[in-house]
Amino acid sequence: MAIEIVMPRFGWTMEEGVLAEWLKKDGDTIQPGDLLFTVESDKALNEVEAFDAGILRIPSDAPPPGATIPVGGLLAYLMQPGEALPGAVMDEEEHGDTPPLVVSVVENAVATVARNTPTISPRAKRIAAELAVDWTTLTGSGRSGRIIEHDVRNAAQRMQLTVRVNAARVTPLARRVADDLGVDVQGLAEQHSDRRRIVRADVENVARREAPPVNVTGDTATPINPMRRRIAERMAASAHTTAPVTLTTEADVTELVRLRKQIKADAARDARAVPSYTDLLVKLCAEALAEHPALNARLEGESIIECSAIHIGIAVDAERGLFVPVLHDVQNKNLRRITQESAALIAQARAGQLPAEAMQGGTFTITNLGMFEIDAFTPIINLPECAILGVGRIVAKQIVTDADAEIVAIRQMMFLSLTFDHRLVDGAYAARFLRRIKHLTEQPYLWLA
Amino acid sequence: MTAAITYTTDATLQTLDSAAHLALYRVMLIIRRTEEQLARAHQGGFIPGACHTYIGEEAVATGVCAHLRHEDAVFSTHRGHGHALAKGVTPREVAAELFGRVTGVSRGRGGSMHLFSPEVGMMGTSGIVGPCILQATGAGYTYKLLGQDRVGVAFFGDGAVNNGAFHEGLNLAAIYGLPTLFICENNMYATEVAFSYATRNTEVASRGAAYGIPAVAVDGNDVLSVYEAAGEAVKRARGGGGPTLIECKTYRTRPHAEGMRDAGYRTADEVDSWKARDPISSYRARLIEANRAAEADLAAIDAEVKALAEDAIEFAKNSPYPDAATATKYIYSE
Amino acid sequence: MREITFTVAAREALDEAMSADPRIFVVGEGIGPRGGNFNTTLGFYEKYGPMRACDTPISERGFVGMCAGAAMTGSRPVVDFMFFDFILDSMGELINQIAKMQYMSSGRLKMPLVLRGAIGIGNSSATHHSGNYYPIFAHLPGIRVVVPYSPYDAKGLFRTALRGDDPVLFLEHKSLLNMKGPVPEGEYTIPFGKANILREGTQATVVSLAFMLKRTAEVCEKLASEGISIELIDPRTVNPLDVDTVLESVKKTGRLLIVDETFAPCGIGAEIAAQVMERGFDDLDAPVARLNGVHTPTPYSPPLEAAVVPDAVAIERAIRDLLAE
Repeated sequence: MAIEIVMPRFGWTMEEGVLAEWLKKDGDTIQPGDLLFTVESDKALNEVEAFDAGILRIPSDAPPPGATIPVGGLLAYLMQPGEALPGAVMDEEEHGDTPPLVVSVVENAVATVARNTPTISPRAKRIAAELAVDWTTLTGSGRSGRIIEHDVRNAAQRMQLTVRVNAARVTPLARRVADDLGVDVQGLAEQHSDRRRIVRADVENVARREAPPVNVTGDTATPINPMRRRIAERMAASAHTTAPVTLTTEADVTELVRLRKQIKADAARDARAVPSYTDLLVKLCAEALAEHPALNARLEGESIIECSAIHIGIAVDAERGLFVPVLHDVQNKNLRRITQESAALIAQARAGQLPAEAMQGGTFTITNLGMFEIDAFTPIINLPECAILGVGRIVAKQIVTDADAEIVAIRQMMFLSLTFDHRLVDGAYAARFLRRIKHLTEQPYLWLA
Repeated sequence: MTAAITYTTDATLQTLDSAAHLALYRVMLIIRRTEEQLARAHQGGFIPGACHTYIGEEAVATGVCAHLRHEDAVFSTHRGHGHALAKGVTPREVAAELFGRVTGVSRGRGGSMHLFSPEVGMMGTSGIVGPCILQATGAGYTYKLLGQDRVGVAFFGDGAVNNGAFHEGLNLAAIYGLPTLFICENNMYATEVAFSYATRNTEVASRGAAYGIPAVAVDGNDVLSVYEAAGEAVKRARGGGGPTLIECKTYRTRPHAEGMRDAGYRTADEVDSWKARDPISSYRARLIEANRAAEADLAAIDAEVKALAEDAIEFAKNSPYPDAATATKYIYSE
Repeated sequence: MREITFTVAAREALDEAMSADPRIFVVGEGIGPRGGNFNTTLGFYEKYGPMRACDTPISERGFVGMCAGAAMTGSRPVVDFMFFDFILDSMGELINQIAKMQYMSSGRLKMPLVLRGAIGIGNSSATHHSGNYYPIFAHLPGIRVVVPYSPYDAKGLFRTALRGDDPVLFLEHKSLLNMKGPVPEGEYTIPFGKANILREGTQATVVSLAFMLKRTAEVCEKLASEGISIELIDPRTVNPLDVDTVLESVKKTGRLLIVDETFAPCGIGAEIAAQVMERGFDDLDAPVARLNGVHTPTPYSPPLEAAVVPDAVAIERAIRDLLAE
């Protein structure tokens, strides 16, 4: 059988070599030990010896001198007399099974973190997700300002919803009924964590067991339910910690009323919702807040955070209590969108289905008691904001429009009551802000400019 | 080059029976033919790692291992195919191991320099020069501690005798009187560095005196000289007489490792002069001349071993590779 | 229960094992008639004779390599280095031979070899007699590395080392040798790779080893009186290293500190921190903290020596800092 002459390996890392020159010719008789050819490797010129005897046959299609051949590549044959040359030079030598390639892929995922949001520990982030807490608005108590587990759990406790566990476990109806009846549904849910759902019947059972005793005098004693307690705490906190000053002014909103009538007439054709006066005031206040950023601020720890975005909360009186859903990024929304969103939020609030995030992050609040025929009042600041605008009813009044000419007219008038936190904002500044709002209501086209 | 002590081996030539002579001849030839096949296989690209051939030194491994049983332990070097084959590892196992196949003696984990077959007392070839001396000493310690009739044998080259392991190992074997043989295969070069450069005292056997142990130098290309010296040493060891150092003066006629150059540090004349002292052909001729073996028997062995070596390569070529999933097995005992 | 020292407990384990198994023998400098510089083999020469309590010349590479060969051929050597620093002269035998022998022989050769010696900084032993180095050894496949703390641990872990067929480094901190503690009579083993929880806690997890563990335990006791609740864990072995127990703890506490006398770079704390980051990332409320010996050769003069090892003040500050993070 023909013996194959192949490119040998010199050194441990050689993978290919250059066939430099043949030292024997095709047809020469070869003895073991004869030098057959030389190879150029990266180290040196190497001589290759024959191990066997035979007649050297270099096929016509074999790699020529000067060619680079991989180790193991076929160059020639040593034949015995009478043997026939095997077929064409093969490209590949088969060396038994090729060893399996072990490919390890190293994935290098480098995460770059944008640092315009506060930092948070992985554990706290996980818990925030579990408890549905918006951690982006929290202040961290970790030494470097990092938000840690402790902060998230505190925030969860401060949330206005009565239920902190997975909503799936307590039906919305059960939640509402629990609020009405003053039942601690979260405690109930935790107690029965083996159950899939807490339903209304469960809540009513608990309430029945805890029903207050009927007093002989006919008075009723109702334990303070969690919702009431929370409202009470918030109000007290605001009253006790802020330095509230209320400024009032009466605005001539005749033009605003006319504007709304025009919008109403137009919207009616397209069956779109009509903006309420509150919606209009949200848009106007956003304008004024952009010009007076100190009032679009929150106190966090020892810092006054002037917020770049404007998030305005609107107070909603629901049967079950007071809610303040927040319209976020008002500066980027047009009146139509504000109208839609506020309507949705108010509906949710009334149905008791307002999610926690909807009530977080506000930078300013508007509370409108006009529908109750209230003129001016002293609204309480919604902490941690630093001001709140109270809106009164719109009344047609006889007003002096030109004192010198002694001209009077019937104008639509509305009181605006601004309570601000005098710890953070000075009186003149707040006054200028309120005056600006007044002007914007009196000349609403100004905020088109 | 100083002449070694040549044992007057005529007595052994006569007293050893024909079968024993043929056995010695056969083992040397198995080493020779297997190594030739491995050199060819390396050139053909079948051996991914190193291959340091024992060609020219066959008499040393053969002469020593002829006195050893499977329970005796041999600790070897990077040039250890000869020791493995002489100790009882089959050519198939050696070839398959160098080819990296799972049927190799080390299951493909070791290659040429980590051949292990404890079943026949082959306790490893090694990529590091020196530790085999210490480990053979340790084997001697176990045998003395446990009162076992066994010996430990370290094979090493001239390159090891200036290493701390040589000094510490021989000293420990000496002070504890351990049944260990220290076989130095002095082939005059450590890779390309001449022994005469690496030391001022090129008589390895003379170092035995430094440790107070018996030492001899023999012609490493005369299998009967090696056989006689090793026989004395093994008898001494088994009898509780302690260690022996045997320097075998010999020569490797191929490069340090396959694929390395063989020029620049020694002359072709020198290589040829040693080829003329081929241990196998000279022994063959001597046996015929002294009528200690028949030409027919020798020819039969020639044919048998040629086929054995070719079969080993075929076996290796056709053997599977190890499963990559087993790469982390055997790190610990559990 | 009787209280005995770490040294006596370890010696008891060795004595019991050698009584039962004639294949076990000890080599080392001065461990024969002298009984060992640290009294590790007191009385053994008289009891077991010169082959089993074998004095060696000063040739660490030689007798470590010799014991490797002995372990391969059926006996069960114990190499007693006296000061574990001396193993450095035989690193080739340890890493290239002992650690790899089972693998190279595809499991057909075992390596039942225990290498023991004293580690640790103290008593102005200076830089050639104060080494720890166990992170280097923990990095290698093929050897087990044991760092016991209490006398109870010393005896049980030593017994396990002597029973197994793997090579084991058994590292005994000098400052623990005379520490007393309760130790049961008779034979018992402690498995490798199982950490010990010295105290349970809720606010932070602290992992520590060897002598540092003693200082850390004292600090935790002091903090407990202030109502600070620390969970303290002793891995006991650094190879295998029980990170599962640490992860369980961090799931509870969210905070982790590792206090170790060895150096910080590429150390045990680095390994634990990496694993906790990989497997317990979402449980971390603060970055993992490490308190280590200073990265320097060990100085001689007492104030310098004290300055390069964490003391109670540093450990307490590290814990408080971690809690404030």
